Order: sequence, then structure tokens, then C-alpha cells
Amino acid sequence: MSGLLTTSVGSFPKPPELQAARNKMLRGELGRDELEQMEREATAFWIKSQEELGIDILVDGEMDRGDMVTYFSELLDGFTISGLVRSYGNRYYRKPIAVGPIGRKNPMTLKTWEYAQSLTDKPVKGLLTGPYTIAEWSFNEYYSTFEEFVMEVAKVVHDEAMDLERAGAKYIQIDEPAASTRPEEMELVAKSMAVVTKGLSAYTLTHICYGDFEAVIDDLNSIPVDNLDMETANQDYSLLELFRGHKSDKHLSLGVTDVHTHEIESLEQVKAGIRKGLEIFTPEQLFIGPDCGLKTRTTDESIAKLKVMVQAVNEIKAEMGIS
Amino acid sequence: MITTVVGNYPKIGTGTKTPNLRTAISRGDRGEMTPEQIQGVRAEVTAEVISDQIQAGIDLVTDGLIRWDDGQTYLARAISGFSFTGLIRYFDTNTYFRQPVVDGLLKWSAPITVADYEFAAANSSKPVKAVLTGPYTLARLSKDQKYHDQKKLVLDLAEVLNQEAKALQKAGATVIQFDEPAILKHKDEFPLFQEAMDRLTKGLKPTLALYTYFDDISGVYPAFLKLPFQIFGLDYVMGKANWDVVTEVPSDVSLGLGVVNARNTKMETEAEIGDAIKRIAPIVPSDRLYINPNCGLEFLPRETAYQKLVRMVEGAKKVAEVTA
Repeated sequence: MSGLLTTSVGSFPKPPELQAARNKMLRGELGRDELEQMEREATAFWIKSQEELGIDILVDGEMDRGDMVTYFSELLDGFTISGLVRSYGNRYYRKPIAVGPIGRKNPMTLKTWEYAQSLTDKPVKGLLTGPYTIAEWSFNEYYSTFEEFVMEVAKVVHDEAMDLERAGAKYIQIDEPAASTRPEEMELVAKSMAVVTKGLSAYTLTHICYGDFEAVIDDLNSIPVDNLDMETANQDYSLLELFRGHKSDKHLSLGVTDVHTHEIESLEQVKAGIRKGLEIFTPEQLFIGPDCGLKTRTTDESIAKLKVMVQAVNEIKAEMGIS
Repeated sequence: MITTVVGNYPKIGTGTKTPNLRTAISRGDRGEMTPEQIQGVRAEVTAEVISDQIQAGIDLVTDGLIRWDDGQTYLARAISGFSFTGLIRYFDTNTYFRQPVVDGLLKWSAPITVADYEFAAANSSKPVKAVLTGPYTLARLSKDQKYHDQKKLVLDLAEVLNQEAKALQKAGATVIQFDEPAILKHKDEFPLFQEAMDRLTKGLKPTLALYTYFDDISGVYPAFLKLPFQIFGLDYVMGKANWDVVTEVPSDVSLGLGVVNARNTKMETEAEIGDAIKRIAPIVPSDRLYINPNCGLEFLPRETAYQKLVRMVEGAKKVAEVTA
């Protein structure tokens, strides 16, 4: 029996000097090549760290991305970037604005994925942001309807996913954190995801967070991906209960560490979480990861959280006789 | 016809004369600025956004809610009985707030927004509207761990906010607006809402406005417009059905026509604003009409918010000239 594969959602903390270098580059005080060199070093650090931790499916850590939507909109045709808007507290971001037809000039994530994969024999996930989230987290001055905007973005995300697959990606994750924004639009989330994943033979995942899932649990199961990645730890696994009455063939990536707290979960806490997941899903169906991207934590906190996670999985696998 | 805003205004902009509030708060977090110094920056920014509104041609301004993180926590932090938990999404926006938790009996102990109102009034050559979140919305967006009785919770909050409004009245506020977007998402609770609005407005002398947004009032019209307020703010951008639903407005109240989209950067044309005003004319005469964005402007970058207000005022002026 196999199962309980460990993975991460996508982002890891950037070393402080990389953040500083990024700001320098934006001010024109540092060349793009020098920044890219630092990004590669940071990527290599995280690949090595994940290998040492014994994680099964790796991520590049998104060392070259600022924001998960802005990163793509800056590389796509048809987008410009707004002034700063606030998301909460003292957190601000620049919001993309669709001002023309959205199109893709070149592959956007391929180079970083290829580099990360070249460093390891373990599979590295391709990491994309989904069309619904890109459109929802942008202003729209061009398309006459939101749906048209989403469906056009879906085409370019599909092209990117195909490029990753051709390059050898076995796992492609298309994140839709905005999916739960409006329950009545879950159908649009699924419809646009169908465009993204059409013809892909890679294993597909989607990460969804923040929301009232009770209203949309059946729709969630209709999103055409192999694996739903949910933040479950920070809601004390109450989300899992929703799946109990809605048996699904889908796989689930179970979030077992809260990314919004400095506190490192105890081994027993994480094991209890995994056991809760195993009440509803088979070991083959269950992937184990953090709730969300770890980029808001420190490097030490991230590694400590992942270490507990891997140990918890290993102990449960030993108890259950999973190889 | 009076031009106004719904409530909040973007806190930071580029190339502004005042210090950047975001930078000030970060410096405060690092211990490089005292809370008093940050309060000073908030005051400067407040004065600036009032002057921006006036320069754009707005007749009835707000303080921009520069001191508020969001519509919930600014009030809840000062009301006894609340604590706070994790971040949750504000309606269907990409903004978040720390969810208030009701874990004690809710009580008003001291004025919350009175000093803000007094500062704004002293720094504005135009009338200032005080803005509060209504009791139903505040209750709906909080987590109840004490009352286990929605009605009692909402009515207690109505009492708290009535006392706050009385304090504003004492300080000289002539217009007080209550925001109640949540009722449009839970129209089945309208009977409770009516009771809460009666409690909320009891004994208040200023002109009272009730603003809703993100949806239309189908299902609670016409009763909605008979609630004890003198101005009703309705969203005609996200609640387009309001055009068909609201066929009559009682002759003793005014309508706040939300026609500028405060959630998208796409600029309205003067003609679009003018057309909306002409379209509403058979239902509400211009002397009972307020023209405003559909909701608070903080979803936009500062520069876009300002340009939208300028456009709105120009559009309204053109219609006024033609009909005068």
C-alpha cells in the first residue's frame, strides 16, 4: 500500500537579501541578471531543504514571484497595473487592470520550473494561478462581462499548463483561492478550469482557501482536477466534515499546519489531523501539506513546520504499514 | 441635487503632500514612531482627503474613515463585549477583516467617533456626514459566542449605536449615515431589521441616512423606503435591478443614487452619469436626490477614486444646467 504523499502549496519565504535585491532592481539599482542569479540560489536552497526533509512532491518556492496574480498579469498582454489598493490592515497591493485582449507572449513559469526540476530527481510541481482568481483579483476595463474575462484568461493558463507538461511536469497545480468568493459562480470556476485542464495528462491539483464551503461542496467536487488542496488545520479540520457526507473520488491535499501562526504545531496535533483525514479518505487519496503557501513565515518556522509534518506522516505510515 | 460619497476614501496615494500612512504604520510596528505620531499622520491624511473631496466638487463630505481598518473592527474595538479572531473576507470583495467575536454583553461606554467628527467638521468648508456601520450588518459579520439569540444581539447593538449617534448629535452632527449592506443578503430577516432600525433611530434629531450596497432591494421594497430615515442610499451598479424594482419613492424622503462603480477602475462617462440622473428624474425630483458612488471608494487607488468623483460631479452639473 502506498499513499500519504507529502507536498507544499507553493510559496516559501524569500531570504531577506532577495527581498532587498528585488526592491533594488525595481529602483534600477540592480540588474535583472543579478536578481535572477539570487532567485536561482534561493530556489536551490529550497529544493535542497525539501529533499533533506524527505518531502515527496517538491515546489520551487516561487522565489521569483511577488504576488500570485500580479506575477502573471505583468507577463501577459492586455494587463496594466493599478496604484496601490488595500487588502486588510496595513497590507496593500497593486491590482492588475485588464485594458485589452489577454494574450501570452512567451511561457511564463517554464524557465523556473525547468531549473528547479534540474536540481532534483523528485517531481517538482508546476504552479499556476487559475483564471477565475486572476480575473477576480483584477479590475476589468476591457471585457464586457466578467465571464468573458475569465474564459479568455483560461485559454492562456491552459497554454502555460501544456508547456509545463511538454517539459515533463508530472504534477500541475492551478490555484483558485478566489473560487469561494461567490457560491453562484462556482460553475464558472469549474467551466474555466475545464478549459485549463483539457487534454492534460499530468496530475492536476487546485488550491482553494477562505470561504463558506458548505454552500459549494458539490460544486467543488465538480471542478475538473484530480486533487483539491484545502486549508484544513486553521479551521480545526471542520472543513473535512463537509466531505464526510459527500464521498468523492477526488484526492485531497490536507493542510496540517496553519501558515498564519508563528507557533509550530506539535507532532501529536499533526498526527491527529492526518488521522481525521484518514477517517474519510484512503491513504492513496490523501496528500499531506501545509494549509497554504508558507511565504509569510520565516525560513526557520517553515522548515520546523514541514519537519513536524514529515515526521507525523512517517510515523502514521509506519503504524499503517504504508511504504 | 447633492453630490456625496458613501464613506471610506483610499488612505494612501502617490505624490501626496502628507506623509504616507502605510509607511507611518510600518514604522510604528518597528517602534520608530509613537502611536501619537501615527495619530498625527492620520489627522493630516484625513484633512487631505476632505480637501480632495471638496476640490472634486463634493457637496456633502465624510472624513474618509481614514482611522478605520474596516467597517466592523473600528467600532467593535470600542464597544464592550467584543474580542477578535481570524481574518475573513468582506462580502465578495478581495478585502479582509479580523472577525469580531461577541463574548460579553454589548455596551456603549464612551464616544467612539465623536472626536473624528469634530476634527472633520473643523477641517471642512462643506457639511460633514458622520458614518456608522448599522447594527444588523455589525452583528451579521461578527461571531456570536454569548447571546445565542440573533434578535437580542441585533437589538442590543442597535441600542449601542443609538447612543453613539446621540453623542454625534450632541457634538453637532447634522447628517448621520448608517451602512447596512448585510440586510440585502438576508432579506428573510427584514422584520427583525425593521425593529432594529426603530431602536437605532429612536430620539435622533439629525437627518438620518440608511445606505445599502452590493445588491438590490427587491423583496423588501417598498417597506424598505418606509423605515425611519430621510435618505436611502441604493446601489444601482451592483444592484441594477433597483432600476426596475424602485418605481416610487415616498415624497418625504430622498434617494442616494449609487451610480459610480467604486469597485472597478473603468471610468464612467459624464453622459452615463447624466443618463442615470435623467432616468431617475420621474421617480425622484432633483431636490430629493443625492448622487454618489455605489459604495465606499477604498476599493480603488486614490487617483482613480478622485477622478471618478470629478467625473460624477461634472455629469451631475451638466444635467442640473440643462434642467435648470
